[in-house]
Amino acid sequence: MPLYELGVIITPSLSDEDREAFLGELKELLAKEGASIVKEDVWGKRNLAYSIKHEREGFYLFWQYQGPGTVVKPLEYRLRVSDQVLRYLNLNLDREMQRARKMEKVRAEQKAAKRDKKGQRAEAAAAAAAEV
Amino acid sequence: MAKKKYFVKRKKTCKFTAEGIEYIDYKDIDLIRQYVPVSGKILPRRVSGTNPIYQRKLTRAIKRARLMALLPFLGD
Repeated sequence: MPLYELGVIITPSLSDEDREAFLGELKELLAKEGASIVKEDVWGKRNLAYSIKHEREGFYLFWQYQGPGTVVKPLEYRLRVSDQVLRYLNLNLDREMQRARKMEKVRAEQKAAKRDKKGQRAEAAAAAAAEV
Repeated sequence: MAKKKYFVKRKKTCKFTAEGIEYIDYKDIDLIRQYVPVSGKILPRRVSGTNPIYQRKLTRAIKRARLMALLPFLGD
């Protein structure tokens, strides 16, 4: 099961209780789909870089959760239809890391190839020197 | 005769390669801000000296940060 990262911006006009109720709903949905929250990161109210839906502030919230791929569709649908959600961003962190690891591997190979080439050149030079 | 102008070339280094950062998080605004001037544009590689691989990752992170209203699409 991949690890996902969800970032949500909730409208600041929502009262604390309403927001908690909404988040509870989301958590329920996650639990129902067989996903579990690994890490919770609440930034709270923060100024937006530009206004969204005439709001200049937003309540930022980030969750890392682990669950089957089937969880994404209903979750994103729920976020999309909610008026209180200004923005959301759902990422597959495993895929992001995989990309990073792949590139690390490629780079390591390139480095090794370079070293080999250098070694060969040094050998050739040594051989040439020996001939003389 | 015009005097020939000399300037000292500064060696540009890629911070991500140097520090071995694998994944650039769009939430890490303090890091990303270094590559976004007040204009809001993404700093080109030829200015920042970032590695091509990391420049692409950085671009993705900046665009994500813009979506989440952490960075402006348009600056001052």
